[in-house]
Amino acid sequence: MNYTRFVLHAAIAASLAGPAAAEDKVLTIAGSGGVVKEITEKVFIPAFEEDTGWTTKFIAAESNIMLEVRTMLASGNMLYDAMEVSASNYPIGVQEGLLAPIDYALLDPDNQLPDKAKKEFGVVAAAYSTVLVQRLDKTPEGKKMQSWADFWDVETFPGPRSLNRQPQYTMEFALLADGVAKEDLYDVLGTDEGLDRAFAKLDEIKPYIPVWWTSGAQSVQLLSDGEVFYSSTYNGRVTKLQESGIPAEIVWNGGALHTSYVGIPKNAPNYKEAHDWIRVRTMRPDLEIQYVRQLPYPNFAPGLFDEMSEEVARNMPTYPANAEVQFVAYDEFWAANIDRIRERFDEWLLE
Amino acid sequence: MKLRPILWLLLPAAVLLAGFILAPSLDLFRASLFDPDFTMQHFQRLVDRGVYLDVMWRTIRVSLIVAVLCTVIGYPVAFFINLQPSRRQTLLLFLILIPMWMSILIRTYAWIVVLGRDGLVNQALAALGLAQEPVQMLFTSGAVLAAMVQILLPIQILTCYAAMTEIDFDLIRAARVLGARPRQAIARVFVPLSLDGTLTGLVIVFMLSMGFFITPALLGGRQDTMIANLIEFQVQRLNWSFAAALGVVLLVLTVAMIVLLRGAGRLLARRVLKGGL
Repeated sequence: MNYTRFVLHAAIAASLAGPAAAEDKVLTIAGSGGVVKEITEKVFIPAFEEDTGWTTKFIAAESNIMLEVRTMLASGNMLYDAMEVSASNYPIGVQEGLLAPIDYALLDPDNQLPDKAKKEFGVVAAAYSTVLVQRLDKTPEGKKMQSWADFWDVETFPGPRSLNRQPQYTMEFALLADGVAKEDLYDVLGTDEGLDRAFAKLDEIKPYIPVWWTSGAQSVQLLSDGEVFYSSTYNGRVTKLQESGIPAEIVWNGGALHTSYVGIPKNAPNYKEAHDWIRVRTMRPDLEIQYVRQLPYPNFAPGLFDEMSEEVARNMPTYPANAEVQFVAYDEFWAANIDRIRERFDEWLLE
Repeated sequence: MKLRPILWLLLPAAVLLAGFILAPSLDLFRASLFDPDFTMQHFQRLVDRGVYLDVMWRTIRVSLIVAVLCTVIGYPVAFFINLQPSRRQTLLLFLILIPMWMSILIRTYAWIVVLGRDGLVNQALAALGLAQEPVQMLFTSGAVLAAMVQILLPIQILTCYAAMTEIDFDLIRAARVLGARPRQAIARVFVPLSLDGTLTGLVIVFMLSMGFFITPALLGGRQDTMIANLIEFQVQRLNWSFAAALGVVLLVLTVAMIVLLRGAGRLLARRVLKGGL
């Protein structure tokens, strides 16, 4: 008996044993907590429940959803029917065989979704960006950061900073700061010299980073508390920061544009109904527009941008002027190189 | 055979320990050595890369510093409490116990409020005109040490206190009768008799420090990573075998250090008892 897995599994099972567990037709959906959960429960879940007559249970798996799924698979008891799969988790899920393939004949028989929305093991649920955010009340008088090169410029912009404790996109930001064109990022990062170059650039900024964030919530908290003045973070979190009265501003230039997915874990108990959920989540512009008004994470619901005002569209990571200055995060590169780079990155952090 | 019914009393504890301590520990050893076939690669990686040895050394060093600081601060407090009238002793012990009812997480968060850039200490420094710029205290080794000492101090105070209440005060009176001055009686009778309990407290604090996780994670910078943080990190990265190897090393290091500390303590006690302080 594998006790580690047994205990982990027991802990997860205990956390799921809510009142809804007794009912029959319950679809269990796992996703991130916070604002995403709030709005998903307000917009998509009622529509799904009305369409299908099923009830749902939404589990906020904030920290490491792939670890949970892996544990459940190992213990032979999959508790989730559908799940959010982030850009960085998608390749892990595919590589480790944690996801079930999407049946597009079942999901989208009329072929309405554009090709770029469809992956073998997931449908694009949201597009978001990892961007540089600055607190305008902490920047020097009359100056604003415009690029990652400014983030590295500690003379002009003094003060504590934070970056993600993951090599994904942090390495790209370093290369952008070092003058690499965004078209060439992954060609450069793919070579040993390019990787050395990124680490050399990170060496420069290392002393000015008192803390490396490990969750989106933490990055926003650090900015909100004034523990750091500049940080990378997810664009959707910035809206909440601004609403709470913090003068935070996004620098779209050099941001990483990601797509995240909704997928089905392997051995999900309700494979077919999970597709009904995915359809509601990804193919309904009437619902998506409500979601996007509150969270600027649009997907490829057919006809979505027709329903949007200019003002809303301008805060979208996929708004043309924003998309133009960002680079597209290349998940496949990270899937192929993550082990090599992450080990070095982790050890570099400890040095 | 009078022993047998008494042994039955141990059964629940034995089952609990075997099921929830012994078996998972054995599984930990298995996971560190089989991935899925027998391999030493995870231990090899630990030894080959200097950074991991640094983290281990740092964990031991921080734990030792915390244990010694808790003893230096805690022993006089326990001594003071021991000298109070018994009703006041109860009150003082109660006050020391109160923080232990709060979760370590909350006590750690409280330090963020105290040490942050806009925190209490920085506000006070600014108000007194002692600092132009906020001082970076959060995410430093000092923050980790301060919080760990604060969290573990009650344990050392209570252990020292327990040892002191065992001491027969007639022995000190006897020393006085035989001509020792008060300070001599304390140094040559009281302190040696409380030494064993104090060392036990020191070892307990050391042991708990070795596994500390939340405090260095929240209050420390990247250079304050301890073994437990490394384990959590590797679990997050799905490197379970490497995490297991780190766990084994933490276990072995802790046991080895305890044996070492007990041995050193016993030597010290023998010398103190022979010659006094």
